Amino acid sequence: MRKKISISKYISYLFLIVVSAIWTIPVIFGIGTSFRSQTEVVNEGFRLLPVNWIVENYVKVLENTSTAPILQWLWNSVFIATTHTLLVVIVISITGYGYSRMKFKGRDLLFFTLLAISFFPNVVNLIPSYKIIDILGWVNTPWAMIVPGLAGMGNIFLVRQFMKGIPMELDESARVDGANDFTIYSRIILPLIRPVLIVCALFSFTGSWNDFLWPVIVYTDVEKMPVTAGLLLLQDIYGNYRMIGQLMSSAILAIIPTLILFFFAQKYFVSAINLNSGIKG
Amino acid sequence: MQNKRNFAPIFFVGPHIILFIVFILIPSIYGIYASFTKWNLVADPVWVGLDNYKTILADSDSTFNSQFLNGLKNTLLFVVLSVPLMIIIPLMIAVSLEHKEVKLKNLFQTLLYVPGLISISAAALIWSLIFNKQLGIVNNLFGSEAVWTTTQPYAWITIIVVTVWAGIGGNMIIYRAGINGVSRDLYESAEIDGAGSIRKFFSITLPSIKFPLIYTLVMTTAGAFNVFAQPLMMTSGGPRQGTTVLMMYIRDLAFSHGESIAGMASAMAVLLGLVILVISAFQYYAMSRNA
Amino acid sequence: MKKGLFFVLLVAIITLAGCSGSDKNTIEFWTPLTGEDGAYMDQLVEAYNETEPEFKVKHVVTSDMYTKMYTVLNSGKGIPDLSIIHADRVPSFVKQDLLEPMTTIVEQQSELNQDNYLDVAWESGVIDGTQYTIPLDIHSNAMYYNEDLLKEYGVENWLDDNVITFDEMLSMEGKLAENQFIVNDALMSWVILAQIQNLGGDIQVDGEPAVNTPEMKQAIEAAKQVADAGLMTPYGEDGYLMFQSGDVFFSTDGTWSSTGHAEVEGLNFGVTNIYSFEPDVYHNRASSHLFAMLANEDRTDEKEQGIGEFLEFIRQNSLVWAEAGQIVASTDVVESADYDQYMQSFFTSTPEQEESLYIYTYEYYPYIQEALDMYVADLVHGEMDIDEGLAEMQKFVEDKVNEGTLDVENAPDELPEEE
Repeated sequence: MRKKISISKYISYLFLIVVSAIWTIPVIFGIGTSFRSQTEVVNEGFRLLPVNWIVENYVKVLENTSTAPILQWLWNSVFIATTHTLLVVIVISITGYGYSRMKFKGRDLLFFTLLAISFFPNVVNLIPSYKIIDILGWVNTPWAMIVPGLAGMGNIFLVRQFMKGIPMELDESARVDGANDFTIYSRIILPLIRPVLIVCALFSFTGSWNDFLWPVIVYTDVEKMPVTAGLLLLQDIYGNYRMIGQLMSSAILAIIPTLILFFFAQKYFVSAINLNSGIKG
Repeated sequence: MQNKRNFAPIFFVGPHIILFIVFILIPSIYGIYASFTKWNLVADPVWVGLDNYKTILADSDSTFNSQFLNGLKNTLLFVVLSVPLMIIIPLMIAVSLEHKEVKLKNLFQTLLYVPGLISISAAALIWSLIFNKQLGIVNNLFGSEAVWTTTQPYAWITIIVVTVWAGIGGNMIIYRAGINGVSRDLYESAEIDGAGSIRKFFSITLPSIKFPLIYTLVMTTAGAFNVFAQPLMMTSGGPRQGTTVLMMYIRDLAFSHGESIAGMASAMAVLLGLVILVISAFQYYAMSRNA
Repeated sequence: MKKGLFFVLLVAIITLAGCSGSDKNTIEFWTPLTGEDGAYMDQLVEAYNETEPEFKVKHVVTSDMYTKMYTVLNSGKGIPDLSIIHADRVPSFVKQDLLEPMTTIVEQQSELNQDNYLDVAWESGVIDGTQYTIPLDIHSNAMYYNEDLLKEYGVENWLDDNVITFDEMLSMEGKLAENQFIVNDALMSWVILAQIQNLGGDIQVDGEPAVNTPEMKQAIEAAKQVADAGLMTPYGEDGYLMFQSGDVFFSTDGTWSSTGHAEVEGLNFGVTNIYSFEPDVYHNRASSHLFAMLANEDRTDEKEQGIGEFLEFIRQNSLVWAEAGQIVASTDVVESADYDQYMQSFFTSTPEQEESLYIYTYEYYPYIQEALDMYVADLVHGEMDIDEGLAEMQKFVEDKVNEGTLDVENAPDELPEEE
């Protein structure tokens, strides 16, 4: 018995260490490359770490504040992603409540219809989407990136399912005490669904941070751009990568804020997360 | 009473529906409308009825027909190759992480999540250098003589590797959360019955995380159908258009150098959307019924 | 009831949102110049704004400019006052009525005339006698050579006539050390397009696209012969980086790459023409960055005058642009002594050299380029039968031409005739 647990423990460790190594080596290589000169990149074979460490790639990226204000971009991204995430949490929790704990005609049909529509690829919807943003006067404003994503269905799907697992008796007894839907939502349900909201928040944050197709279309003002769209401006227009190190250094700079957030947030959800609590009842 | 009930849901569901109508429904309807037209993105679309669909589906002489079939075939191949890995690997990681005696959980989790944060162009460049025949590690280490990005099946392998490397973080967290929520009592009573790790996994863990599995399967599959950045950047769709996925053809039709052929692109996108829809619905029903 | 409420909310959202108008006294200037190029253009714009013009220029770099152009043209709002487009876009833009002619600007600024620009760049903006663009540069396919390798193998004399021939390259078959190559396959489609000119061919016959031609076949076969002899960097390997690491004699990339190659210490390189069949017939497929005004009724005459002044300033001061590795289109700049320090001055050093720069202006050229990009690597490296590939490419282009909606406005009338 005791022995069995040990064996599975060692297998788990072995697996985790191997997978983490495979996953981490390219990252280290990328970080290493961001400290290498072009000469070294083309002349040395594969080396995890540079022979000569140089910081010029970073200096160049940070110095270029007129065409590539990367710190401003990072700030824009932080603002956009944070606001977006907060709004997502509000929208999906309210909407999820509606689709799981309220009864109205055609509720599930409506939900699955919306879910189905949202599966259509949005590549050719670019023009009408832009037109709508333009009508709203949101071109070159953070709202162009904050609001449209709130319409997504994926997170609502997750929240709805989670809420369905919370026993209806909770609502019933609160209702007997005179609580209305809003009170039930805010006092009873919201605290219970915190774990799933944290997961959704994380996905929304990284999703918003990494989106690069849409921001290229809705931003022209270099000062207003989020960092993913901005990074594309640093890349070579001819598709040759002239400066491999610089591309890497800018990519590394761009992940630092999300990384910090992830590191702190993870403490939260590892202890708090319990996706099934509701489902199990 | 009846009135009251009908009114309240509007406040909970209504705001999102407005957002949905403005930012998803209207653009989608326009996209579907465009699929019945000839359109160059600038002038007004000209209605052509089912012509685009006829060309794509029935005219075997047409480039668009062969592009659609080839693109769909490659997209399906990508889905079949990538989705199981995107489910199984994070699930195994999550199970290992949730092992009660494993420490440093946060460290492992962070290391595995980081690749998903790196921009796709930088990620593609990192892996191109790793797979590079002269400079790279793969050939030096494994003594392979192949040029990975232009020889099958290696071209697909490079694409799948980048995708899985960057894409498992989200599912890993969902599974971890799911497993974390399984009651400890269940495991303990199973242990008393003498169940081994594998049996515990199949008879307790898997059934308990049924919804997370359905959810990730449906979402990962839908996402995989929309793939285009990884093949574009790793193989440019080669060799012999063997890795050109449907989204690459659609984007080329709509946004390439020549005059845009957006109506045809829309029709292909709508057809792709229908495929996604049918498959997701099938997955959802199959998974919800069984187990 | 429900619908009414939604509608009210929708209207509220739309009206709440403000309007953002562009400044009346700035020239909004869009370019696709990402990376270093954008920084050089910024320098030029900044220098111009320091002259305190009535209309200041605001430079906007866009990484996906043409998609963005379509979106603003479609919505009719936010159209830039001035932009830089590529030469191969001009015919289709003009045909779709998307460009404003430069006629009034050319009238006001007398120096903006053909004599002051490289001919090929100027002419790429003329459609049916109307001037639609003013050129900034020519960016051309170019062949870099590794001086040390040429010396090592004692073949520096290849450079004597400034043209490397297929025969010269093929003469090295079996003579190279392992993992060394004569030439890489960078920008292969551009190289093929140059060979078509070298062979006296064309990509159109009477306005119809002609891809499946004897010249195209010969061009691809010649390149394939080099690849088959093991002299070309293998399919899928990064020939650009291999040139930088000193294992390849020649790199067929672009004039703009000189700055990238210069980053590599210890790489001694120079520039010459793209290889050819005969030393006396040679071409380099080129394109051009052109200033153009997208059609926009809101552009005032005063603003157009301001644009003219900016373009004249560029004409006089675009030496900075040479830093980006481009062949500057203004002859004042090209003929100045300072310009000689730049490697790309090779391409304007003699009249013959200047004539080697070839810009395709056929209206369906972009589709042909797209087809070449999709197929040429597979054909040259023997992954696909050449005849089969050429037939598919021809079909590809024809289908796209037929689907293109160029004549869409007349479509109802013309359709019966076309059938």
